[in-house]
Amino acid sequence: MKRWMILAALLTFALLLAACGGDAGEMEVANVWGRTSPMAAANGAFYMQITNNTADDDKLLSASAAACGTVELHEMYMKEGDVMGMRPVPDGYIALPKGETVELKVGGLHVMCIDKVQEFNIGDQIPITLTFENAGTMEVTAEIRDNAEMPSMDTDGGMNSGG
Amino acid sequence: MKRLLPIFLLLWVFTACQKEPTYYGTQWPSPQDAADFTLTSAAGPVSLSDFSDKVVLLYFGYTFCPDVCPATLSDLGQVMRALGDDAAQIQVIMITVDPERDTPQQLADYVAHFDPTFIGLSGTEAEIAEVAAQYGVFYERHEGTAATGYLIDHTARVFVIDRSGQYWLSFPFGMEREQMQSDLENVLRQQ
Repeated sequence: MKRWMILAALLTFALLLAACGGDAGEMEVANVWGRTSPMAAANGAFYMQITNNTADDDKLLSASAAACGTVELHEMYMKEGDVMGMRPVPDGYIALPKGETVELKVGGLHVMCIDKVQEFNIGDQIPITLTFENAGTMEVTAEIRDNAEMPSMDTDGGMNSGG
Repeated sequence: MKRLLPIFLLLWVFTACQKEPTYYGTQWPSPQDAADFTLTSAAGPVSLSDFSDKVVLLYFGYTFCPDVCPATLSDLGQVMRALGDDAAQIQVIMITVDPERDTPQQLADYVAHFDPTFIGLSGTEAEIAEVAAQYGVFYERHEGTAATGYLIDHTARVFVIDRSGQYWLSFPFGMEREQMQSDLENVLRQQ
């Protein structure tokens, strides 16, 4: 009987230890979406929120998608007089500090889909593979929408940010 | 004094009615004359003066642009649908700053995706440069990657040209759709 109790206590202890050791979670990718786009548009963009719950800083190194000829990581910039431009991210990666959420959004960072091989229509699901330096590869799915926001259930959508 | 109160109230209501509408877009200190131009659509030449009975929303962009241009055109398309019957009095025109890659047909297919009434215009490099200069629009090519080819920095504003052929209002990038809609309703009501 005693032996059983000791075993149970040890097991509980071990489980607690494991929980402590596994404090860090995973790379979380949420709200992956892209805008509707006709074939006349050669390129498209995907947006998402990446939360690095792991114990270490990480980097998004690259992405790929069968729907795109080439995929690059890009950022927008604004110059004087409302002039906007786009370029590949400096150093070729997106930094993902541990414990932080990095948002890829309209007018900011995006996963650029170059030489789209298909039309993007509302409701399409586009599979994308993300490659992180530490967290390895991850499969995510972009939902094709008109806007960053999920369509709301109420009648007129309410106030949305234009973006 | 008590007897004067209704008069004050009336005056207050009167001045409130006279109040200028609130505009959310950027306003020029004084109205600018919108220079006429003729460029090429898939259906043939199109001039700004063809739409003198409409409010024209003029946007300079290019179809290779994956982020700000589709975001802007998508917003404008949604504003047009939200405007209902008023939308018939508005014409959205996109002028490409990339005439080398954007053919009139490609532009037509591109803009139609956002709204079937939108018009896309191209022209020669010189024609585009002239129109852009007339509106103070800046654009400049820079090197992209092997996959993108060159990219273009460009003014991301939407010019609102009223029915008197002047512009004094513009929509900066990222302006909320509800605000654009409100501004356009006010522009249509003012004239």
